Amino acid sequence: MSRVIRAAIFQTAWTGDKESMIQVHEQAARDAAAQGAQVMCFQELFYGPYFCQVQDKAFYEYAEAIPDGPIVKRFQALARELNLVLVLPMYEEEQPGVLYNTAAVIDADGTYLGKYRKHHIPQVPGFWEKFYFRPGNAGWPVFDTAVGKIGVYICYDRHFPEGWRALGLGGAEIVFNPSATSRGLSRYLWQLEQPASAVANEYFIGAINRVGVEDLGDNDFYGTSYFVDPEAQFVGEVASDKETELVVRDLDLAKLREVRDRWQFFRDRRPDAYGPLTAP
Amino acid sequence: MTTALEPALSVRQVLTLDRVLAGEPEVVAGAGQLDRPVRWVHVAEAPDVGVMLTGGEMVLTTGVLLAGDEEAQAEYIRSLHRAEAAAVVLGLGRAFPTPPEVMRRAAERCGLPMVVLHRPFPFAELTEEVQSRLVRRKFAAVSLSESVRTALTGLITAGAPLQRLLDEIAQHAGCPLVVTNLAHRVLATAGERPAVDDVLRDWERISRQAGGTEGDGWIRAELGGRGERWGRIVLCGYRGDTATGRLLADRAAEALVLHRMLGGTAHSWEEQSAQSLLTDLVSGVVPARQLLPRARAAGLPVNRRTFVPLVVRDGDPAQLDRVLRMLGLSGLVAELAEGATAVLLSLARDQDAQALTAHFATRLRSESGVRRTVVAAAEPRITWEDVPAGLREARHVADAVAQSATGLDLPAVVRLRDVHLRGLIRLLRDDPHVQAFAERELDGLLCGDRHAEQDLLPVLRTYLATGRNKSHTAQLHHVSRPALYRRLEAIEARLGVDLDDFEQAASVHIALLAHDAQQG
Repeated sequence: MSRVIRAAIFQTAWTGDKESMIQVHEQAARDAAAQGAQVMCFQELFYGPYFCQVQDKAFYEYAEAIPDGPIVKRFQALARELNLVLVLPMYEEEQPGVLYNTAAVIDADGTYLGKYRKHHIPQVPGFWEKFYFRPGNAGWPVFDTAVGKIGVYICYDRHFPEGWRALGLGGAEIVFNPSATSRGLSRYLWQLEQPASAVANEYFIGAINRVGVEDLGDNDFYGTSYFVDPEAQFVGEVASDKETELVVRDLDLAKLREVRDRWQFFRDRRPDAYGPLTAP
Repeated sequence: MTTALEPALSVRQVLTLDRVLAGEPEVVAGAGQLDRPVRWVHVAEAPDVGVMLTGGEMVLTTGVLLAGDEEAQAEYIRSLHRAEAAAVVLGLGRAFPTPPEVMRRAAERCGLPMVVLHRPFPFAELTEEVQSRLVRRKFAAVSLSESVRTALTGLITAGAPLQRLLDEIAQHAGCPLVVTNLAHRVLATAGERPAVDDVLRDWERISRQAGGTEGDGWIRAELGGRGERWGRIVLCGYRGDTATGRLLADRAAEALVLHRMLGGTAHSWEEQSAQSLLTDLVSGVVPARQLLPRARAAGLPVNRRTFVPLVVRDGDPAQLDRVLRMLGLSGLVAELAEGATAVLLSLARDQDAQALTAHFATRLRSESGVRRTVVAAAEPRITWEDVPAGLREARHVADAVAQSATGLDLPAVVRLRDVHLRGLIRLLRDDPHVQAFAERELDGLLCGDRHAEQDLLPVLRTYLATGRNKSHTAQLHHVSRPALYRRLEAIEARLGVDLDDFEQAASVHIALLAHDAQQG
């Protein structure tokens, strides 16, 4: 018995200012809804440039409260209007000086469901994230939305299998992986890790990467956003490596059961033997 | 024509040469390894011959320096094995009357074919024969490589299109040929159509196996340059030996890279692929059903879809493609004729084709900044076989729109029902009766008088298109109403008609539409 949902992801280039960036995303949400999309995720730190190419405290200004800040409020109204579940990767300020790389999840009726805070924070040239973010401390939430159970795993998190697993154990059916990643650094991994994680955890993954080169550095963000199914097959084509693109795909969530009936990874895993993995 | 080289000689084949058979060969060890290729034949008596080999040699010996030393015999075999010799051939008689057991056992253990000749003959006769065959083969490879390269370079320098290049390669290969981008989207194909269609029908599955072995004649070569890979060429089911297939694939890849560097970008290859597909669809030369595998391989979703054929006048294909991406719509874009670009949308069955077409057209206007861009749309088709008629309908509407009076606002999406009489006239434009009628009716304005053609004809066109609205016409032509009246009187006088009479005005209007249709 199929259970098809229409899901969307959106990749775009930095417009040059925050307000127009927000408007581009509002328009994309409307475009996705016009196609009948029921759930949508934006790229990492969606309304800003990827400022982690530099270490400049001026960019702390991009952080705001979740869920009480204006952006969440604005998109709650849009979610309600479009009847669209929204995943908003943002810069979160819990209190001055306590900042996180976070994604807020809004249900299709505009209800704020909660947030995921990125756990793994890189600190390498072009990705100076420790300057901006505390490591996430809000666990591995799985959000029970109007379209199904959704998890979020942000950018650099994707290199760590443990979080993918935790979201799978939490019942996630789709995990969104909003990212900002550069051609020279990770291109060879981009179509390897998420499909492998989709297979290991037998769920769908939506991987999003921004596009273009921004003023703040040489990172060449290569887009190629995609959905991948629990058999590691891309759902439709992978998006452009240079252009703004909305990706709308039908995902048959019944495939989870079909694949899990075939491969009983969750039954056969051995948490009792994994003690060393959690030794500090 | 299939270009193939003689396959490399194997140990087994060498043993079947007449010269060798006369020597009564007997395989005494390594019988399971007789298909190893023989790269060279080497005569050597030295016990340390192993250090002189580079692999693939068939070593011929009488064993004269090994007789009586069993340790040396075993080591001799082991050294050949380490040097990856193809086989050892021992002439009995001089040193050994019968096959030496120590050597046989050692050869068996390491899987080295060992052959004894019961009636040895001068080794020189064998080396001459085998080596002349090997040299001939090597020469043939160089010659094939050169002739393919020369042919392809000739085509490139003559400015041949990609397809011509691929046809040439497919002729040499004698099997289907597929060029893809990194997303496995098929950009171009060549080879006999039924065989190509067989490959494309199952392309999704086949392409996912890419990167694997070269078994079954599937030979791939990467396309790229300046440190960036952007596609691959695949020989699908090459029937010759792998080495020749590899050589052809490599020459083909070189030529394609050169062609692209001199001629354009991968993007334009994608456009060309869409263009040939949509052109074939519209022309109806190839039945639509046969084009389905190509459409699927080009990345267009085709299962349980609604297809919306569109034609955009003066649209830039690259921009249309960008807008599709921005809106997340699946579709193919290609310029069908100068100034007419086709867009074939593929929507899920539950999607509102009408609304999404309008959405696309509206966004196209805002993105292009050209407020007047018009999207001509055919009715959505739910079966693939109906798509060609749909594309023709859209083109027909687009042509009719192009004839519309300038200055009139048209909706962003125009359909057949919106072009009314204009559509009918467009269909009939080549009819001699219609042409004669137009000439006759407009004779007074088309008599070669520049004033009439340049000033009066446009006024007449606008006047009729606005439903004989004098003030609107005066406004659009930036003239005063009295000036307009004078021009209308001049038109009536020249045509000998009364434009206030509905039937006469209608007749002139139809004639003008027919005249304009012939110009377009």
